[in-house]
Amino acid sequence: MTLHTAIVETREKKISSEEAKKFIPSEKNGAESIFIGRVRNENSEKKVTAVTYDVHDQAVIKSFQSICNDAKIKFDKNASIFLEHAKGYVLVGEISIIIAVGSGHRDEAFKICRYILEEIKHKSPIWKKEHYVDGKEEWLPGHSLRPKKEIK
Amino acid sequence: MEVQLKLYGSSKILSDKEILNIELPSNSNIETLRDALSKVISKKYLKNNLQNLSKTAAFFNKANEIVNDNYKLKNKELISIIPPIGGG
Repeated sequence: MTLHTAIVETREKKISSEEAKKFIPSEKNGAESIFIGRVRNENSEKKVTAVTYDVHDQAVIKSFQSICNDAKIKFDKNASIFLEHAKGYVLVGEISIIIAVGSGHRDEAFKICRYILEEIKHKSPIWKKEHYVDGKEEWLPGHSLRPKKEIK
Repeated sequence: MEVQLKLYGSSKILSDKEILNIELPSNSNIETLRDALSKVISKKYLKNNLQNLSKTAAFFNKANEIVNDNYKLKNKELISIIPPIGGG
């Protein structure tokens, strides 16, 4: 198996880079690239304490698999890909997403990581609600999936 | 007729429950649902940065496919509202 995609419910489990590191090595792969996204403590000059991630589970898994398969076709069909995204409440410093790629060469490994991340931001139904030090919270704006020509 | 709107992201401000039931005239489509949603938002939720939600949201049918504005809704149909996304 060279592809693993999952949504990780933060009430049950934390995303682990160790699992990703175990998954991607192969004798065919000379390069490994791991992207880890974490919740940071500041956004738009507001002090952040945590982010809640809401996820449309079925559509996200479908999009993850499609994006990863596209990445393989585009860059390296033998690549190993481990992709997990958090669902639920994630504290500052904790992992929200991990993309680990094992590939034949470094260029493809970097490109696959970047490609997957950018595609997720535009295709996977995931939403962020930030929680702030003052107790307020806010859903962040994002990218509309409604075709642009339909938006009047 | 009535549709069951499954809420995601910022649309969760509209209800404490996962599903919001919305009354619509018979033979409604997604465009009618957008209008109804716009009315709900303008009455109660303008302070919550939701004023563009009825325009910018996409809608999924039960098969998780995006449906366009002409999509005919069935009574009691479950539709997911997909506000603008931004994971990662």
